[in-house]
Amino acid sequence: MQDFAGRYIMKLNRKGNVKRNPMKRTLLFLVVAAASVLSTQVKVYAHHSFAATYFEDQEVKIEGKLVQFLYRNPHSFVHVEAPDDKGMMQTWAVEWGAGGQLSRDGVTRESLKPGDMVVVTGNPGRNPDDHRIRMRSITRPSDGWNWKGVVQ
Amino acid sequence: MTRHLPRWRPAYSLLLAALASLPAFAQLDFTGEWAPLYHEDGPERLPGPELGDYTELPINAAARMAGDTYDADRISVVPEYQCRPHGGDYSMRGLGNLRIWREIDQASEKLVAFHTHLLAWDSERTVWMDGRPHPPDWAPHTWQGFSTGVWEGNMLTITTTHLKTNYMRRNGIPRSDKAVFTEHWTRHGDYLTVVTVIEDPVYLTEPLVRSDNWFLDPGQNIGVFGCEYAPEVPRPEGTVPNHLSGRNPFLHEFANWYGLPYEATRGGAETLYPEYQKKIANEYHPPDHCERYCKCTSLFDCNLNSK
Repeated sequence: MQDFAGRYIMKLNRKGNVKRNPMKRTLLFLVVAAASVLSTQVKVYAHHSFAATYFEDQEVKIEGKLVQFLYRNPHSFVHVEAPDDKGMMQTWAVEWGAGGQLSRDGVTRESLKPGDMVVVTGNPGRNPDDHRIRMRSITRPSDGWNWKGVVQ
Repeated sequence: MTRHLPRWRPAYSLLLAALASLPAFAQLDFTGEWAPLYHEDGPERLPGPELGDYTELPINAAARMAGDTYDADRISVVPEYQCRPHGGDYSMRGLGNLRIWREIDQASEKLVAFHTHLLAWDSERTVWMDGRPHPPDWAPHTWQGFSTGVWEGNMLTITTTHLKTNYMRRNGIPRSDKAVFTEHWTRHGDYLTVVTVIEDPVYLTEPLVRSDNWFLDPGQNIGVFGCEYAPEVPRPEGTVPNHLSGRNPFLHEFANWYGLPYEATRGGAETLYPEYQKKIANEYHPPDHCERYCKCTSLFDCNLNSK
């Protein structure tokens, strides 16, 4: 049977019969398959404007107890109880990637649990009363688990 | 005297009749999995527009006021906005992977419709190709609207009406439900170019023309979006984040960052044309070097500090 990959690598042997090269065929198949897998990874839907929501040129860091992990679309959120810059305890809403984005990064619903102590860095929201952050990194010091990246 | 028809007349008539019954050879098939390209308007389409950036938009004072009073927290705080999909027009800004397929009538083999499916909010749209009219103005409006298409050579021109109120830019610039959205689809090999035109009597003084490109990606697997409501940023029930008119403290940021005169960032038809560059030539002072979104051509490199 001739397939797409085989068509370009058929050669004639000395008797003039078609000869196939199994190794080249396998390599070509793997290259095509890899390209197909990689091409499925580029997904984006740009829900809302991050520039409109956050001060992208500023960074804050909080350290506290995770109280809720919303793993979902359009955006996952973690809620963390941590003190603000005045030492007052606040519940911070930290915006993270969509479920699809996080799963590609190896983050699942089970990656974080309420009660985990975490350190979060990110861009602060424009409304200080919201105590809102766009995630840049999250670390769980107890076992070193961490994620770092760009939320899209 | 008896006159006879030229011999070629009956044959010619038969030939014309036969040709009229054949499908138009200029029609193309847009079927396929399409991934968006972001070399045009990358920062606006990917991370999102900056507050107060109304450039390129032929907006009027009403649209400007909507943008000025907009607070982006609205999308998180107001549950109904969390899963509000992009409109059929904004979806074609390439904000997600696209699948197109045809619907062919089995009996006549004629093209009935093109269908589109977008990742974002699993949005689907039908583009009717069978000549049916648009519904009356008072018919229900939907997020994707009502679309019909006609061929202009090998270019497909789509007209969409009955779109629900949505936005032209994700920094508060609205698009009304009176708008008419026109698209021109052109396929050249494995590339799809979509030129879009929005005519909005409520918020625009001239048509808004934009373009986007896609490439064919047979290996694409869109998957399910499945939006879920959740308490993202808890605020008292009924809160709708906004800025009162004249109280938005962020509107001058964009002009300051890019060295533009403030008036140039306010949009309006005048600012779209080359002559406006001459008008502001003495007031435009760009930064010495790029400091924001310096490199933005794909999902993976379009960030504030990308270089």
